[in-house]
Amino acid sequence: MKRYDLIVIGAGPAGLSAAIEGAKAGMRTALFDENEKPGGQLFKQIHKFFGSKEHKAKIRGINIGGELLKEAETAGVEVHLSSTVIGIYPEKCISVNRGDHIENYRAEAIIVATGAAERMIPFKGWDLPGVLGAGAAQTMMNLHGVMPGNKIVMMGTGNVGLVVSFQLLQAGCQVEALIDAAPRVGGYGVHAAKVARTGVPFYLSHTIVEAKGTDHVESVVIGQVDEKFRIIPGTEKEMEADTVCVAVGLNPMSQLVRMTGCEMKEVGGLVPACDEYGATSIPGIFAAGDVSGIEEASSAMIEGHITGLAAAKYAGWIEEDTFKTQVEERTASLEKLRQGMFAPQNKGKKIEKTDEGLPVSASLLERGYMDANEMETYPGVVKKEGVHPVIECSQNIPCDPCQEACPFGCIKVGERITDLPAVTEDSVCKNCGACVAACPGQAIFLVNEDEDGTYGTVTLPYEFLPLPQAGDRGKGLDRSGRPVCDAEVVKVQDTNAFDKTAVLTMRVPREYAMTARFFKKEV
Amino acid sequence: MRIAKHPILGEYEKGRKVKFYFDGKEMEGYEDEPIAAALRAAGVTTHRHTRRNGRPRGIFCAIGRCTDCVMVVDGEINVRTCITPLKEGMRVQTQYGLSAKEGTEE
Repeated sequence: MKRYDLIVIGAGPAGLSAAIEGAKAGMRTALFDENEKPGGQLFKQIHKFFGSKEHKAKIRGINIGGELLKEAETAGVEVHLSSTVIGIYPEKCISVNRGDHIENYRAEAIIVATGAAERMIPFKGWDLPGVLGAGAAQTMMNLHGVMPGNKIVMMGTGNVGLVVSFQLLQAGCQVEALIDAAPRVGGYGVHAAKVARTGVPFYLSHTIVEAKGTDHVESVVIGQVDEKFRIIPGTEKEMEADTVCVAVGLNPMSQLVRMTGCEMKEVGGLVPACDEYGATSIPGIFAAGDVSGIEEASSAMIEGHITGLAAAKYAGWIEEDTFKTQVEERTASLEKLRQGMFAPQNKGKKIEKTDEGLPVSASLLERGYMDANEMETYPGVVKKEGVHPVIECSQNIPCDPCQEACPFGCIKVGERITDLPAVTEDSVCKNCGACVAACPGQAIFLVNEDEDGTYGTVTLPYEFLPLPQAGDRGKGLDRSGRPVCDAEVVKVQDTNAFDKTAVLTMRVPREYAMTARFFKKEV
Repeated sequence: MRIAKHPILGEYEKGRKVKFYFDGKEMEGYEDEPIAAALRAAGVTTHRHTRRNGRPRGIFCAIGRCTDCVMVVDGEINVRTCITPLKEGMRVQTQYGLSAKEGTEE
């Protein structure tokens, strides 16, 4: 039996981070993953992450994955791929299926970071080819370059449903509708808004009645539900679609860690009961990331670091003092992410007011976009002469890259990263577009409400192909994706610093400068 | 069904083009991409028919967890096509129940 100082199971964001800490502490660290490639789901996350600079905000998940792999290599982590851990036994032993044979290993400490799997809701026809997990769709398009289908119905408006819908549009698919049985959009409003403005309709309080087809999905029947989630007869509506993506949440994959006999608890799935550093009730067995409770990749990485440090301390590789200082810093960083409306402690709660005491947009929650007349409620939306940022950010989410992006001090988030960004009063916007490209929620626009008495301009983030060119004519779409006015592209900036978020400026009749939020080229 | 160019990812890194056979029909895919990706790109979505009811099944989780996409590959049944790399000349067959022969669902 081969021995290591530390064994980490699962090479996703949590496992990689944990292994890095162990190896840095001097431990001989082995990281096992059943997949051919490391990174877990990180390499499918092509959007810019939220958070603060310390959380790698505004960097795309795929690039964060690359950085982590390099760090693990430098630290000397031994990565074993296509190696499925099939059992954990007393005395910290594991069995690994390497394809054609089984190997056994032993360590001073084991960290389980096996992540989560997609949940499913059965409906009539759910087993037809064409019905698949939203994560599966993401894998097909972002890893393998294959469109999962042409006309897609997305079930679920949590962040996964919203983000994957946007990515489906980026891959060239048509998203016919977003459906959710809940009466309110579950994920970040900004994620919903960037999908809605392209013209995708949201159906809240709706569910899928049936996916129809013989060998493949050909159409989808949706229906409205009452407060007890029963379908209201007569509300059924059939839409043509060849694909249904299901994004109804994740289940922690805690089967393996459970084999240790550690104490378990029920928190959105069965998870090991851990202390604040990821230690389970069995000495030397730790858990980190989604397996110990579903959160975002950003928090999984920090949890991984903390748990790696805890395992190193447990096995005597770092001193109490070192542990304390390093963990304190990581914990403070994690706390910042666990604040605001979407914090774990607020799960399932109906929040009607922001921390600032402002009403939460009902339109955003019910239709996926804010109503034009709600805009001025928020501190990021002010009327000014000349070009100025309009920040359509109305929920307390942990994110602040906008503040740092503006070199001219136009944007202020405030004390906590969950505070709503405000446009500062005496600042002068130089129309550089940095904030537009930096906002992970794509919620910042640069607006000139009156350029010359006739026209105004709107500068917006654009992440689709083909990229429009200056001189292109088309329509300005409002926040719901409805064409409202003629528009002409006057400038397109696509610099390296913007990291593939093109910044497009369109000229529109000035009365539409505060309404038009997307550009659609005339074909 | 392949994404020619992606606004964020650009061009996809792919292996060399290889020939394989789906139910005897010659098809093309890229070496080392999952068999399921090559099939989806070629428009094949039914991977198998269930044992008892003969219901069609296709890609569901795409990460080797659910086993909905299993097929008969080079004579071996129950191969998870979403995580098995495509190789030159592979013989991929629709799986009926536990065999490659239609009518054997029971």
